[in-house]
Amino acid sequence: MLTRQELERYDRQIMIYGFGEEGQEKLKKARVFIAGCGGLGSPVAIYLAAAGIGTIRIADHDKVELSNLNRQVLHWNENVGDIKVDSASVKLKRLNPETVIETVTETISETNIAQLTANCTVIVDAMDNLPTRYLLNKVALKKNVPFFHGAVYGFEGRAMTVIPGKTACLNCLYHGVSMPKEKFPVIGVTPAVIGCIQATEVIKYIVGFDELLTDRMLIYDGLRMTFTELKVNKDPDCAECGISSGK
Amino acid sequence: MSVQLEISSIFARYTDNKTNIELRGNTVGECINDLVKKYPDMKKMILDKNGNLRHSYDLYINGQSSYPKEMTKQVKDGDKLNLVMLIQGG
Repeated sequence: MLTRQELERYDRQIMIYGFGEEGQEKLKKARVFIAGCGGLGSPVAIYLAAAGIGTIRIADHDKVELSNLNRQVLHWNENVGDIKVDSASVKLKRLNPETVIETVTETISETNIAQLTANCTVIVDAMDNLPTRYLLNKVALKKNVPFFHGAVYGFEGRAMTVIPGKTACLNCLYHGVSMPKEKFPVIGVTPAVIGCIQATEVIKYIVGFDELLTDRMLIYDGLRMTFTELKVNKDPDCAECGISSGK
Repeated sequence: MSVQLEISSIFARYTDNKTNIELRGNTVGECINDLVKKYPDMKKMILDKNGNLRHSYDLYINGQSSYPKEMTKQVKDGDKLNLVMLIQGG
């Protein structure tokens, strides 16, 4: 049941056809796990808190550095040296005191990922490396929880939504290819665009809108200002979600 | 065969700022060889020492992935290819 204050706060989105009070209540009941509190994690968390997600659990082991501030908009000049999830928690609670913010200052790993994502409705990929992304994809498939992928480089970004058991997964897309983690170029508006696409997908999924960014990768090229869609087929031989994987 | 290759702006510095390039060939491999002949700086970026597409790249034909064995896939006149680099920033 929504309070009078909530009905007023979310009035404009409740007005959207297919959303309604029922959709808002679904958002209120949801717990979203955001892996990463940087360039992608910032816009994802901001827009999900603003939309009225009940609980946001955000994980990041890093501290804020000056060189983060061109894109990680949850962290401000005064936060340099602070733990990222603490810095984020303060802003998100000020934005929407009704959203519960759970913070985790741990490195996401094989040993803690099941616990970190426990009782979460969805998992959002806001990471900066492929091995952790594959790990998140794996746990999402295992727990049958939707997974929202995003990645950025320079003025370019990618996004794809994974619905376990139904659609292509991250491993179908990238075939398990990995690269060493490296310092990458990026302008803040790129993760802003991609993070907002991921947050849009999360909201749509939770509320119950059908047409998700599944079985296709969206490529945003900010320099040419184009959006390109490429088909991603569910791989029957995928080691993570294919027939042989038993999932 | 004549195909149109679309590449990311990330590569524009190697292709005289062109992101749409007309290429000739009967297979993806022949088209890619035409690309690296036109723009030699692309060779080291996208091909390994055996002349295969590096694992960190994917090639799409008319929006469909050509994985696996991308280089052997046939193309036809007017096909649109997309060369996509794996990115991991967040």
